[in-house]
Amino acid sequence: MTSARAIELAALQQDLARAGYIAEAPLAAALLLMQDLGRPLLLEGDAGVGKTEVAKVLASIRGTRLIRLQCYEGLDAHAAMYEWNYQRQLLAIKLLEHDERGLQQKEQDIFSERYLLKRPLLEAITGDTAPVLLIDEIDRADEAFEAYLLELLSDFQLSIPELGTVHATHRPLVVITSNGTRELSDALRRRCLYQYIDYPDYEKELAIVRKKAPEVAAALAQQIVAFVQGVRRMELQKRPGIAETLDWTAALLRLGISTIDIDGAERIVQTLSALIKTRDDRAAFPREVVARLAATC
Amino acid sequence: MLSVAAPALDARVADRLAGFPTFLRANGFAVGGGDAVQVLRTAERVGVLDPHVLRWSLQALLCGRGDEWRRFPELFDAWFLPANRWQRPERREVSTGVAPGDSPDASAGSSDLADHDDDAAAPRRAASHEAVLGSTDFRALTEREHALDIEALMRRFARQLKPIRLRRQVRARAGRRLDLPATIRRSVASGGTPLHLAWRDRRRVRPRLVLLIDVSRSMALYSFFYLRLARALSAECTDVHSFIFHTGITAVSQALHDPDPWRAQERLHLIAQGWGGGTRIGESLAQFNREHAPRLVHSRTAIVVMSDGYDTGDPQRLSDALAQLRRRARRIVWLNPLCNRPGYAPTCQGMQAALPHLDLLAPGADLASIRAVLPNLIDALK
Repeated sequence: MTSARAIELAALQQDLARAGYIAEAPLAAALLLMQDLGRPLLLEGDAGVGKTEVAKVLASIRGTRLIRLQCYEGLDAHAAMYEWNYQRQLLAIKLLEHDERGLQQKEQDIFSERYLLKRPLLEAITGDTAPVLLIDEIDRADEAFEAYLLELLSDFQLSIPELGTVHATHRPLVVITSNGTRELSDALRRRCLYQYIDYPDYEKELAIVRKKAPEVAAALAQQIVAFVQGVRRMELQKRPGIAETLDWTAALLRLGISTIDIDGAERIVQTLSALIKTRDDRAAFPREVVARLAATC
Repeated sequence: MLSVAAPALDARVADRLAGFPTFLRANGFAVGGGDAVQVLRTAERVGVLDPHVLRWSLQALLCGRGDEWRRFPELFDAWFLPANRWQRPERREVSTGVAPGDSPDASAGSSDLADHDDDAAAPRRAASHEAVLGSTDFRALTEREHALDIEALMRRFARQLKPIRLRRQVRARAGRRLDLPATIRRSVASGGTPLHLAWRDRRRVRPRLVLLIDVSRSMALYSFFYLRLARALSAECTDVHSFIFHTGITAVSQALHDPDPWRAQERLHLIAQGWGGGTRIGESLAQFNREHAPRLVHSRTAIVVMSDGYDTGDPQRLSDALAQLRRRARRIVWLNPLCNRPGYAPTCQGMQAALPHLDLLAPGADLASIRAVLPNLIDALK
């Protein structure tokens, strides 16, 4: 028996697939729940498994704007929430010098919304429609910033000392990604739905390659995915993600390689720079290893 | 029949659902009191007829980190599938024993520890019991003796640890560049005349410290001392990450950081399998490179290895692992407890292999020698 929810879920998966994203059922279930409960979704997983893509594709199927906040070390409230346009304020002060109005009025004028520069977080809660807010690589920002973020995520409001509290007109769909370079606080985790995204298995990756590179022949696509899956099983510093698979596919097409086998190992070695990204890892792929991997494809 | 539209769930089903967060908490999940309500709300939304949809939804709702995510399916089955109900008190202690801050992919092959965790409950308990009888007594970890001295020394160390200047600028009390937005904001009080200036200066952060502590048999005399240093230090600075190694490497930061000394001992018990055994420094460091370094070690990380360098593994392997670490980290410092013995020269294979990659090789057998070497240490970490 299928419940109404299961049908809804399948429909969402189809929508996502149409938009070019192959989502497993648990992820689709989390995306539905995220809208029901109005909670942010925290995505964790290795680099290159398609975390950021989730937010992009969510915005596209919901037909809303994607507002992206890329986190970095030292990101502060000003860069993330709002900033006063101080050059214009400075100008305004000069212009108002010979104005007859009272001081209080002038001050109100200078600190009005006209001089407010909206940064991603403020923009996300003041728009006309509910956008998708992507907070990318939150683990790069400092712990202090996480605390700032908690206020937004729990009440969807921001306080600006000069203006007062800004309440959200619409609740944005918040997607947070983390690569795990730093342990996130429990408070943040508690407020979010959670999804761990692993490297795709053979079927899923094959579906992705077919979707993103439809010009590749079916047999070659299968070989490509089998080869990459083999590479991922090896002990590497940096395992290739989905983006690397697609890059490599493009590289193979460009060189006109139509099949992966032992005979072509020499040419495959030339394309590996799309797949292998560190010197130590590169040293782990002499011709023989490539030939052995190719033979199993 | 229950479905998405059903306004309320059957009382029996609701009871079962509401008990689930408590069951998860007993299994070491970080779920709170309010989660039962969320579970019921979720169940009302998604319906309870399709077990898969319910499982995926609750998994998203109740998990908070990678290891919880991986353990969830079997716990879900254990709680909701009638046949398995009797399995309830499952592996309670595992969750706290798991290495803290483990990278999401750590389960793939993280030391002996991970293997033990995967075992069924019974043999595991037996093994850890033997270990308790066999050797380690972690009471020394929080012993009163010298505790204050150690804390004072580590506080001094933390305070003197020179911050690294970054390119990025932040507001500062004094500096060379004017912070215009802040200056204008302050000028409001004086009617637009900037009387009080605000400044910007380059941001400074302390280096991240990664402590790798050798706990093999040859280090038995010193490893507790180093663990106490690590515990005191992680109470002083936030960005300290501690690991112990013998033939494999295990993260102990979370266990050391536990404010309750008794619980800290318990947690160390659980993860210290193989304590006092042989040493394979090269293997351990290679494992560290593989599992922890990518997310932990960046260009402002100082690595402190505390070991006597007696290595039963391949010295070439140690040299390679250190060379690799060298490329990621800012500094590598080696504290060797044997160093200040009269006539000591770093001639053992391990030290010979390590020496070319180190910024500093310093003695450190006890409090006095650490105190003596502190200025050099701070210089080297600069």
